[in-house]
Amino acid sequence: MTIKRTYEEINAKIKSGKAVILTAEEIIPLVEEKGIEKATEEIDVVTTGTFGPMCSSGAIINFGHSDPPIRMQKVWLNNVEAYAGLAAVDVYLGATQLSEYQGMKYGGAHVIEDLISGKRIKLKAISQGTDCYPRREIETYITKKSINQAILFNPRNGYQNYNVAVNTSERKIYTYMGILLPKIGNANYCTSGQLSPLLNDPQFRTIGIGTRIFLGGTQGYIAWEGTQFYPQMPKDEEGKVIYKGGTLAVIGDLKEMSTDYIRAATFKGYGVTLVVGIGIPIPILNSEIMKSVSVKDEDIWTEIIDYSFPHLKKPFLGTINYMQLREGNITIRGKNVPTSPLSSYAKAREIAQRLKEEILRGKFLLQEPIQKFPQESKFKPLLEIH
Amino acid sequence: MLSKKVIFTFSPQNVERPVTYQLIKDYDLWVNILQAKFEPSLGGKLVLELKGEDEQIKEGLNFVRQMGVRIELLEQEVIWDEKKCIDCGVCVSICPTGVLSLDKETFKLKFDYEKCIVCGNCVEACPLQAIKVTF
Repeated sequence: MTIKRTYEEINAKIKSGKAVILTAEEIIPLVEEKGIEKATEEIDVVTTGTFGPMCSSGAIINFGHSDPPIRMQKVWLNNVEAYAGLAAVDVYLGATQLSEYQGMKYGGAHVIEDLISGKRIKLKAISQGTDCYPRREIETYITKKSINQAILFNPRNGYQNYNVAVNTSERKIYTYMGILLPKIGNANYCTSGQLSPLLNDPQFRTIGIGTRIFLGGTQGYIAWEGTQFYPQMPKDEEGKVIYKGGTLAVIGDLKEMSTDYIRAATFKGYGVTLVVGIGIPIPILNSEIMKSVSVKDEDIWTEIIDYSFPHLKKPFLGTINYMQLREGNITIRGKNVPTSPLSSYAKAREIAQRLKEEILRGKFLLQEPIQKFPQESKFKPLLEIH
Repeated sequence: MLSKKVIFTFSPQNVERPVTYQLIKDYDLWVNILQAKFEPSLGGKLVLELKGEDEQIKEGLNFVRQMGVRIELLEQEVIWDEKKCIDCGVCVSICPTGVLSLDKETFKLKFDYEKCIVCGNCVEACPLQAIKVTF
């Protein structure tokens, strides 16, 4: 008999403390031992996790009004400019914006981390002054307690899969994939593989708009599909699926987050970014979903790409799976190349575990998507029109 | 037999003295150059690992000091701040001597100080600025 479950049934089990939950790693040996059908029967939810640099992140902040009030036109937080082209005291602080004095040592991501940790942040704003907002400048300090809202809203997080980056040139290059040594001296990759949210539900059967997620240490939501969303899954000549670019736009209360799960980072020679912790619970509604969550590193393939090529379409050097990458050495063009992840597998595991415990304690209920993501999407380049 | 890691800082006045040659020949020391950076007009920096009898290392270093070369002993050359570290592992593939690795079970970073040659690759690769060199 084929097992089917609803969200209501799963939530009822969670509330009564009877739900059975495993992480996306723990489910693998269970499925190997008992098979898909039996595992579907036994397990209600599988939790996933990821903790990696996600540049397309930032925070919406409302400071509250001063007296006399100001319609802020330019705003700096610890000398990092925030976009003020919104209403009087609303800004959007982008994670990758750099400090005007410290350059790459400090940026929007660091302001976000400092805000979360409760530090005092210097606010400077200027304005031309209006009849209703006469003030022309203000300098003061804020903390997360003093401001009205601080909402993390990240337009593109949780990349389903990502390239392995290498450098075939003669010189060391500094990229968002880390430092790449000359002559394919190293290979960097960036997903949590078998633990990664969008690799465990690659067809977005349960992940969509409105899904409740673990975000930065608190409960957040999926707001929309992420920018550059590309759900198609092409196959290579051997029939291997190459997962591409499912992405998520996520939202949550920054004030409730923790620096254990949100961190600022600087990639030398590239810039500042935010390391974001995301965990998504996947309800086992049927055996097809169980099959998806039992995916293993050795079945997840990605492409090796040459980042020394300074154009959009970069040379392709082959495919590789995450089991090979995680072993620490791979072979490219006959050369033994050491590998490094950019995304922390230890933290991804911690997030999946923590989410599992929160659900077990009845503190985290599953939310069915209000709307599904589109099935298809185009990945358009920017054309230069004269 | 003792082993010591040292940093020699040269000035433009003494930058051309063949220090390593003399340490080997006159003091019978085993010398391993870990790092060298020279700019004849500005001076330079040499990171060495010395092995030899206690007395010979002392005398050899005295001789270098008399030349006007500044000597620092490298007690703890690289500092890894475990609290700042997120165990991503981006430093692993850039380390030339296998000091850094991810544990096969826990996937947490391991740091084998013994193998470190103070090249500084991990310092510039760490996005969390969790690794520092003491000089």
